[in-house]
Amino acid sequence: MTQTPPLSDDDLLAWHSGTLPPDAASRIAVRLADDPSAQAMLADWAAQDAALAALYAPIADEPVPARLRDVIRRAEAAPPLRNPLWQVAALLAVLVVGAAVGWVARDATAIAPQLASLQMNAVQAHQTFVAEVRHPVEVPASDSAHLNTWMSKRMGRDMQPPDFAGAGFALLGGRIVPSPSGPAAFYMYEDAAGARVTLYILPQDQGNGAAFQFASDGATNTVFWSDEGLSCAVVGDLPRKALREIADAAYDQLL
Amino acid sequence: MTMLDQIEAAIPALRRYAHALVRDRARADDLVQDCLERAVAKRQMWRGDGPVQAWLFRIMLNRHRDLLRAAGPAGHLVAVQDLASEPAQSGGQEAHLALAEVHAAMGRLPVDQRAALLMVALEGRTFDEAASILAIPKGTLMSRLARARATLRILTGRTTDDPKGHALGQKEVKP
Repeated sequence: MTQTPPLSDDDLLAWHSGTLPPDAASRIAVRLADDPSAQAMLADWAAQDAALAALYAPIADEPVPARLRDVIRRAEAAPPLRNPLWQVAALLAVLVVGAAVGWVARDATAIAPQLASLQMNAVQAHQTFVAEVRHPVEVPASDSAHLNTWMSKRMGRDMQPPDFAGAGFALLGGRIVPSPSGPAAFYMYEDAAGARVTLYILPQDQGNGAAFQFASDGATNTVFWSDEGLSCAVVGDLPRKALREIADAAYDQLL
Repeated sequence: MTMLDQIEAAIPALRRYAHALVRDRARADDLVQDCLERAVAKRQMWRGDGPVQAWLFRIMLNRHRDLLRAAGPAGHLVAVQDLASEPAQSGGQEAHLALAEVHAAMGRLPVDQRAALLMVALEGRTFDEAASILAIPKGTLMSRLARARATLRILTGRTTDDPKGHALGQKEVKP
């Protein structure tokens, strides 16, 4: 009698899955009949499956916790912005603000001390929260209705996070951060590769109509400005030019 | 069925898998919540290439991987050979396995093996589906399954055999 090679793990896994075509299954069945150790192994595997089902399957029969259902409820209540009117408004803002940027940028002056402090606070907030994996933001973008109401209330003015989709960045969400001049709004964005950019907004002037300023701290760059009752900083580990484009978009949409 | 309905319908399965994988109720539900938040936010970017549930599992596993990376390397993994000398529980000849023992043994599996075994044994995915969800080649999946099952046999006292071989006559199961 010739000795056939022992059944391989792959053979046995396929057999155990019960998905083998009949001819392959019967070939393995023949060899199994002479292989008590493989039979023992298959019996143990079946026992493993039964144990795993007994241990973990009941979790799927539990009621779903409210906080998980709430994620769906919130999404139903606040469908994402895909409104053509919104896009028209954004386009108009770009047209109107193009001129304004030129006006504001007409006299680039030395950085006002308050604006320098804003820049440092923005970088600190950036470095604190960008490293967060679990809780980078307090209110996620999926809950934009709540995010906007809450931010508007705390900032004392209408707050809508600008859209940086043109630069490939999607809003993750926002939080309120403390600053020496009162609460500031802090929004975080992420691109498809996981790079994060933050926008820091203090709802007051910090220096009179200062043009875009640029600061660099190693890999972390900042573009910041103050105009029309808003002082803002865009922070990210991005090249200066890419960050400037995002700052332009923020400026256009925030006016 | 809207996209949101489909996402909601998948929650029980996501929880089942997350709880078995993460082994802590609160952290498992945190993981599911992260997954749902992401799915809801990205639902318009989903291209409809395959079942929604597989897409959700993929999001959850990516998230889990990120969390593990952020937590740093696990320091408690023990080589399988060092575990083989543990006393087998009560002879190990029963048709069923002690659940607590299996739960403990699952916790000692490397997380990649645990993820693979649960996807097939608990979630009932085919090898092709599981490999696609876990984003690994089918061959890698098969070897993780075989190693996971062999290690579980050792840890539950069913065999003292080396995971590579099958021969060990005295452990033959008698009906």
